[in-house]
Amino acid sequence: MGRVPHVSMFSKVLVANRGEIAVRVLQTLQAMGIATAAVYSDPDENAPHVALADEAFALGGSTAEETYLDRDKIIQLAVACGAQAVHPGYGFLAEDPTFSRECAEAGLVFIGPSPETIALLGDKIRSKETAVQAGVPVVPSSPVWRPKESQPDDISSGIGFPLLVKAAAGGGGRGMRIVERAQDLEPALESASREAASAFGDGHVFLERYVPAARHVEFQVLADSSGNTIHLLERECSVQRRYQKVIEETPSPALNDDLRNRMAESAVAMAKSVGYTNAGTVEFLVDAQTGEYFFLEMNARIQVEHPITEETLKLDMVEWQTRIAAGENLSLTQEDIRPSGHALECRIYAEDPYSNFAPDTGRLLAWRPPSGMGIRLDSGVAGGQEITAYYDSMLAKLVAWGPDRQSAIGRMLAALVSFPVLGVTTNMPFLLRALAHPDFGSGDYDTGFILKHPELTAPPEQGHLAGAAAEVAALFCRTNKNGTPGQGLTAPRETQGPWCGLPKSMFP
Amino acid sequence: MTTRRLQQVHPPEPEANPASPESPTQAADVETDIDITSSLPDRWEGRVRLKDGSTVPFLVRRAGQQIHVWLAGQSYVFSLPAPTTRARRNGQQTSDDIVCPVPGVVTAVRVAPEDTVQAGQDLVIIESMKTEQIVKSPRDGVVERVSVQEGDRVDRGMRLVVLVPEVGEV
Repeated sequence: MGRVPHVSMFSKVLVANRGEIAVRVLQTLQAMGIATAAVYSDPDENAPHVALADEAFALGGSTAEETYLDRDKIIQLAVACGAQAVHPGYGFLAEDPTFSRECAEAGLVFIGPSPETIALLGDKIRSKETAVQAGVPVVPSSPVWRPKESQPDDISSGIGFPLLVKAAAGGGGRGMRIVERAQDLEPALESASREAASAFGDGHVFLERYVPAARHVEFQVLADSSGNTIHLLERECSVQRRYQKVIEETPSPALNDDLRNRMAESAVAMAKSVGYTNAGTVEFLVDAQTGEYFFLEMNARIQVEHPITEETLKLDMVEWQTRIAAGENLSLTQEDIRPSGHALECRIYAEDPYSNFAPDTGRLLAWRPPSGMGIRLDSGVAGGQEITAYYDSMLAKLVAWGPDRQSAIGRMLAALVSFPVLGVTTNMPFLLRALAHPDFGSGDYDTGFILKHPELTAPPEQGHLAGAAAEVAALFCRTNKNGTPGQGLTAPRETQGPWCGLPKSMFP
Repeated sequence: MTTRRLQQVHPPEPEANPASPESPTQAADVETDIDITSSLPDRWEGRVRLKDGSTVPFLVRRAGQQIHVWLAGQSYVFSLPAPTTRARRNGQQTSDDIVCPVPGVVTAVRVAPEDTVQAGQDLVIIESMKTEQIVKSPRDGVVERVSVQEGDRVDRGMRLVVLVPEVGEV
């Protein structure tokens, strides 16, 4: 992996994000010897990404709109602190073509594809047309419109039920609804449009054929500005709740070599046809019954689940993003991409698996990440931190690698069961059950996995473990009955270090 | 011996199941060996020996009236008893109050006082962690009071809407 000597690497990069991805990007930049700057909202003042960066600047405010989505503030801070490039992470401004363009206008390199490519891929209709032209199979769908602009019946006629309502902008399952019957269409459209308008500032929606028993498989691609484009194999992302991924793995148990090769060719063809540069992901729906696959969308950003690709290929995706953005060409060829073993990712969300995955907030009273052979935790939180309702409910991603699928699952189960989290309800009991489920074990699951198996989300039987927990709690109460109630709320932060609370630089 | 009985707030107990005789209230009957390795007034850790002879690790944290226990990969929340805590924490409806199931921001209020509503009708829409949650009416009835308006920040268990109490018509 020799560097091209005439390309000069950035000396300073600003990371325009929060949480685990901000930490993840900062770690690579620092390992590359690049100075780093972070930005933060008021509730994130003590967040790990702020502590990790060489410099951190307050955005002022709490909501996403007035902080991590405020393009002007972020660009001004980046310019003022002397950064040469901005890494947007995922979410927030990562796929906002205006931000990418305004960065360029301000003399900053946006670490991602061009504004034109982002705009094209962000438009699900235009990106589908491009896929068709590139010879990539697509799912039948309707034109984009807003509720009240025309009658839903006119739009749905060519697709039939069941169908999906999807937001034209954005991703991550927000603004998405499945509709079984014609009479449910209109309320679903209005609700989806509202959610899309709130999440992405754009209430346009469209309809798409619903493929039952579908699997969600995506291919990672890397492309440099000289047009060298390679794929980094697939990720299986079929364990989803509310159309959001929860567990991912690579390789996918659903693909044989023939299907894998055809899908990989489609992914590379798609990336080339839009003139893609940097890291991107081409998402497909695989019909588990027929073995057909359909292009869903291409994401112009680093994905949440990128670590499983990094673990099986032993490469650093953020480093490649940065090098490509600095003008380096890929030194990897397709033949260099040789995966080893199997990797899994579990997303740890602050949500209640027994209450339809409703988000939870509160203070992390305990947070003790596991460690061990093949275990990696990408985390954006620390013990003592307050988890607020302002942002996404994902706390961390636990990644397990093993020489084969069985050992990766075994390592993941052992890591999850030895990971104490208290103060905020998490989906960890669900993750444990899902990984231990026979359908997951056999690899024979699809996007209906969670709904098909209500035992994954049923409240647990009151067994001997719950009894032991109750006894411990009762003994604790009897022993500490003179302790002042409420003491726990003001307890010192669990992982307080000597530098905690030192003021951050407030001026660039 | 214990005068103040703890209530399990989380995880919720499963639907009544006569075939499962064990419950936390009976836990005191079991002789359990609890080994505390680290102890502060608001935090403990140690190991507990189960009936089968194996030992598992635990962690305890106190926060106000709640005791949080992590034990062998599962987290539990116990509360010193207060009559409504459990129902509210679980987002269940108590009497005629419609309470908020998640913390978040009210993005729409769909009803006004004196409106007639049907079971399943949308009452209030809440955005929490970028996801929309629709609070629906649990029964047919008439709205007595709406306690929130658009833009309000709301917490789990907070009252959103009050229905006119049901008169005993069956």
